[in-house]
Amino acid sequence: MQVYEAPLRDMRFVLHELHGLERLQQIEAFAEVNEELVDSVLEEAGRLATEVLLPLNATGDAEGCRLENGVVRTPAGFPEAYKTFREGGWPSLASDPAYGGQGLPECVSKLVEEISCAANLSFSLYPGLTHGAVQALAAHGSTELKDIYLAKMIEGVWTGSMCLTESHCGTDLGMMRTRAVPAEDGTYKITGSKIFISAGEHDLTENIVHLVLAKLPDGPPGVKGISLFLVPKFIPDADGKPGRRNGVMCTGLEHKMGLKASATCQMSFDDATGWLVGAPHKGMAAMFTMMNEERLGVGIQGLGVCSAAYQSATAYAKDRLQGRSLSGAKRPDLAADPIIVHPDVRRTLMTMRANTEGCRAVGIWVAQAVDLSKHAKTEAERQAADDFVALMTPVVKALFTDLGFETASHAIQVYGGHGYIREHGVEQYARDARIAMLYEGTNGIQALDLVGRKMPSNMGRLLRSFFHPVADWIEANRTHAGVGPMVAHLERAFGALQLATGTVGERGLRDPEEAGAAATDYLRLLGLVAQAYMLVRSAAIASDRIEAGDDESGFYQAKLTTAQFFVDRILPQSASLFLTIKSGKASTMAMPEMAF
Amino acid sequence: MTTPIERVCVIGAGVMGAGIAAQVANAGVPVLLLDIVKDGPDRSAIARGAVAKMQKTEPASFMSADAARLVTVGNLEDDLEQVAGCQWVVEAIIERLDLKQALYAKLDAVCPPGTAISSNTSTIRLASLLDGMGESFRKRFAITHFFNPPRYMRLLELVVGPNTDAALFDGVADFIDRRLGKSVVRTNDTPGFIANRIGTFWLQHGVNTAIAHKLTVAEADAVMGRPLGVPKTGIFGLLDLIGLDLMPHIARSMTESLAADDPFHDTTRELPFLQRMIGEGYTGRKGKGGFYRLNKGASGREKIKESIGLVTGEYAPTQSVRLPDALSRDLGTLLASNDKFGAYAWSVMSDTLSYAARLVPEIADEIVAVDAAMRLGFNWKRGPFELLDAIGPAKVAARLEQEGRKVPALLRAVGEGTFYRIHEGRPEFFGTDGLYHPVPRQDGVLLLDDVKRGAKPLARNGSASLWDIGEGVACLEFHTKMNALDDKIVALLDKSLTIVGERFRALVIANDGSNFSAGANLGTALFAGNIAAWGEIEKTVAEGQRVFKAMKYAPFPVVAAPAGLALGGGCEVLLHADAIVAHAETYAGLVETGVGLVPGWGGNGEMLTRVAAARGMPKGPMPTVAAVFETISQAKVSKSAAEARAMRILRDSDSIVMNRDRLLFDARAKALSLVEGYKAPEKPEFRLSGQGGRAGLGLAVADFAKRGIATPHDVVVADALAELLSGGDFDIVDIVTEDQLLALERRAFMRLIRTGPTLARIEHMLTTGKPLRN
Repeated sequence: MQVYEAPLRDMRFVLHELHGLERLQQIEAFAEVNEELVDSVLEEAGRLATEVLLPLNATGDAEGCRLENGVVRTPAGFPEAYKTFREGGWPSLASDPAYGGQGLPECVSKLVEEISCAANLSFSLYPGLTHGAVQALAAHGSTELKDIYLAKMIEGVWTGSMCLTESHCGTDLGMMRTRAVPAEDGTYKITGSKIFISAGEHDLTENIVHLVLAKLPDGPPGVKGISLFLVPKFIPDADGKPGRRNGVMCTGLEHKMGLKASATCQMSFDDATGWLVGAPHKGMAAMFTMMNEERLGVGIQGLGVCSAAYQSATAYAKDRLQGRSLSGAKRPDLAADPIIVHPDVRRTLMTMRANTEGCRAVGIWVAQAVDLSKHAKTEAERQAADDFVALMTPVVKALFTDLGFETASHAIQVYGGHGYIREHGVEQYARDARIAMLYEGTNGIQALDLVGRKMPSNMGRLLRSFFHPVADWIEANRTHAGVGPMVAHLERAFGALQLATGTVGERGLRDPEEAGAAATDYLRLLGLVAQAYMLVRSAAIASDRIEAGDDESGFYQAKLTTAQFFVDRILPQSASLFLTIKSGKASTMAMPEMAF
Repeated sequence: MTTPIERVCVIGAGVMGAGIAAQVANAGVPVLLLDIVKDGPDRSAIARGAVAKMQKTEPASFMSADAARLVTVGNLEDDLEQVAGCQWVVEAIIERLDLKQALYAKLDAVCPPGTAISSNTSTIRLASLLDGMGESFRKRFAITHFFNPPRYMRLLELVVGPNTDAALFDGVADFIDRRLGKSVVRTNDTPGFIANRIGTFWLQHGVNTAIAHKLTVAEADAVMGRPLGVPKTGIFGLLDLIGLDLMPHIARSMTESLAADDPFHDTTRELPFLQRMIGEGYTGRKGKGGFYRLNKGASGREKIKESIGLVTGEYAPTQSVRLPDALSRDLGTLLASNDKFGAYAWSVMSDTLSYAARLVPEIADEIVAVDAAMRLGFNWKRGPFELLDAIGPAKVAARLEQEGRKVPALLRAVGEGTFYRIHEGRPEFFGTDGLYHPVPRQDGVLLLDDVKRGAKPLARNGSASLWDIGEGVACLEFHTKMNALDDKIVALLDKSLTIVGERFRALVIANDGSNFSAGANLGTALFAGNIAAWGEIEKTVAEGQRVFKAMKYAPFPVVAAPAGLALGGGCEVLLHADAIVAHAETYAGLVETGVGLVPGWGGNGEMLTRVAAARGMPKGPMPTVAAVFETISQAKVSKSAAEARAMRILRDSDSIVMNRDRLLFDARAKALSLVEGYKAPEKPEFRLSGQGGRAGLGLAVADFAKRGIATPHDVVVADALAELLSGGDFDIVDIVTEDQLLALERRAFMRLIRTGPTLARIEHMLTTGKPLRN
């Protein structure tokens, strides 16, 4: 059985106690944001998730989407759920108030995204892609385009899509074939085919706004010749209502491993009317605006799956009776003990829990930096926050989605054979979660982005935004009465990360393949230390609260235990990752191609 | 037996004459500078004005204010008899034969026998200058051709005639070599001698071909700049430096006197756009701009680098050019490449190198002189024959043949061989007789390059090597980019101390690079700072302190021999040596505050010791601390070795060497002179100014901040420096040991590197090469 309830207590802890809203509240745009407001938003989101989205998760998976005469039918209940979602104002939560958004901080919005992804990942993709399209349009679109489209998209009346991939080019967009030809009225005629287009066509909204990458006739070769166009399914009329049907069609649905209720479309553009977004040939820059936003969002998808898989597995482990505890029967009244008594099941559950809480804390750290990068008062503060977001985006994307799949797999393990069959619903998490490691740039690409682009950028300045606060905190808390020993573990792992950073930086400068061979392990190591930092810091707060006699619910003790588990049982991976990184590229690259 | 040169006269106070006079003064030799009379109250106003102008313009002609005082100015009517007191007279007046000869007649009359007279002419042949002159004059006369600016250009072309008194001009050559620091290249009496003959051919050909091949100025310069390295500025950049108006002038003099079949004539074209530029005042850097200029951008603040279109004749923003990697790495690949870059390089260089090859022995007896002249006179990284060796002489000959062009005899003669070779560890060159001969070196010249050729280093890592340079002396050579100091250099220095202690008598620290050391490797420091590797950074600082002190107290003499930049940590190497033998062009300073730091390798204590020991220093700690604070807080850099002495980086006992090629030899001699009875220095004890002193320095900084001279982070850096120099928590009555001062130094360094603004300064310096004022 899929069970899910939004983990509101932990979310409140992360937002209010670990990161705190104070820095945001000093900013005019967020002056009204307070704990009460945030808590009520999260509570409502939790209710929507459990009551509306979760019940459609398994059914949507079973039913999937259908293409009928060029129209995509989403599974039963989806259109109604989307209507409820839209009418609840959820699409516009963190959007610009100038276009009807509610202007809440990104760090709140990301928690709402976690909740909806946990409850129903397929459903969450429809509004999720609109988010990125809105960002790109807001940053690069003309006033005219923004006036026509932004409010509708923010409100969720229309959704967006991102049309990048073609059958022969995904990661390497320089080989793109879709063409845009200027028309006399200033618009463009777009012709070509795209694949893997999430929410490219569906029956949830009256119109769909595609952002399409295409080449202009005079464009230079490669990625420098790509421009971004807005192509609506229906061209808005003078009143802004969907008018003439544009030359864009869904020609097929991809048959996928999972995420079945999300329509992944093959799209055909046949002389479709489009409008240029941003400058000619600068489409990649515009595309990266939405891509960066989306990459954080995809990381949150991984987190959502972690959370859902953990809850389902926990419920099952408490319920399922098999064997007796190694230290003697715990429930002699029953035929067997619940499997949660077994150390290996415990190990699995604790791993799932610690990773989930670690990711949540890291994710909100980064999301808050997104808010600061846009709204902080001084340029220096905005720059520092932006550095941090740039550095951590690939980490959030790759680490969270790796862990999403791993955690889903752990959940199946807890279920035993029952995890492998459909009716319990946990195998769906694994199938759904797998895509997040691939789209918006595979996790290998994320790792390359981290070591190849982010690490050397500005002589390593981006690194400062992570390493300095961690080093300062460690230094200030070495002798912390409650968590001093945990801090020592953190410091050792941090030292390994520093050494690894030096090694990768130095070798990478001489030989880019060295950096490439170390990239994935390095990203994981950085992510591991980031999680540990968040969890040990959380533990320090929890320890202080317990010391102050404030732990009626046992929440803080649980925080402490979770952190201790992470430090004891997961953080030591830092040593192995360090050795792996240090070994260099030699054995990875030695095998001649012929020998494969 | 000739009389030593103790006083020199330069006649003609134009750019060249005045510059030559300044360099004589830089050598500490009194010099009389004469020009024609100017009507008015000051009849010597021309010469006086020239000296005054030199004291204002950059790059400076004088190495110190003391040097300027050695110049006496005068005019040719009132002061001619003073010439009699000079042992060498250099004529550098306008290039007119009649005026020169009239002057020579007067000089011949006034100068006692044994006075050498020479001309700095670049366009008139010796034979013409001597035409009609008497026998006694012919004996005492030669051409000494300096290059502009005389202080910085290391080439001197010497042309002697058949009647010239060889001993007399051996003396002059020796003076020019040792005292003026120039490399004397003997050339034949042919138009343009060596450097201008080949250089002008190459420049004109380079311009013509760029136009014919439709290359932009920046493209052409990218080709010549790297990998040819002839020179880094490329052709058009060099022409801007030389002055666009000078080229046609020199070229004309050559076309008038060269044989009709000389290929030089093919390079002389009427270039109307060039005439127009000169006419409008675009004569290069000295004028409104040249092929390049800096133009104000739209905002009026930023400067935009523009270059002239060779077709349009209009300036447009320079599009930076990057050659494909393969081309910029390898000369052979570039010349063989079919693209426009390769075609241009081959066209210009095949003609230029062929031309050079056919001119030996016409313009110089051997190829060595030609290579030296092009390196030192036109800043080529390699001379023509060295370039031919790099490409492969046989390959060049084969391609010339294949293209139906003439292969010069010398190139044909060298065949499958090379123009230079190493034979039994010694460099040899290919002579016009078809045999190899040792490359001659002057007495007193010791080149590390020569040492290295035949030897294996005593110790080596990726950043430094230790060499045996003979007579029981070892030499530590840095070889990183800009000779920046890193942990490997420190480690090898440490190891060298052991090796020298066991097997040698003394250690010299020197290298053949254009810069002794630009300072510590900031890139590594910044990266470590960005990842908060404070422990590692502190270890590096402490290790540097330890090794530098070990060097200071080593039981044998250590001599540092800087040339070019000796900044930051590089300067601290000097400060820990027993003696410094500095090339005159040494630019030294503790510049750490520019990147938001303080010296971290013992530089503070060494400066305190030096300043306190200086003559005329008032007693008590405060004046010393204040003087050192001023030097370090302003990140002062000397503009010469003489200035470094004024800044107390060089002590009175340290010496300055004018000729770069003699630096290592003199440093070794200095080291050997210290061996007998050598005792390591005593450990100093410091009395510092204490809290009161720190407050006093703080007030001064606060005042600078209020007046907007000091930035907010300047105040932070100055405070850390003030705390350190005044002794931290020590009081004015306390004795502070060297180790305690080093601990204070580490503390201040670590305090600063942990600040964001310091890291921002380092980042800015590394990315832009300029200090950040934050």
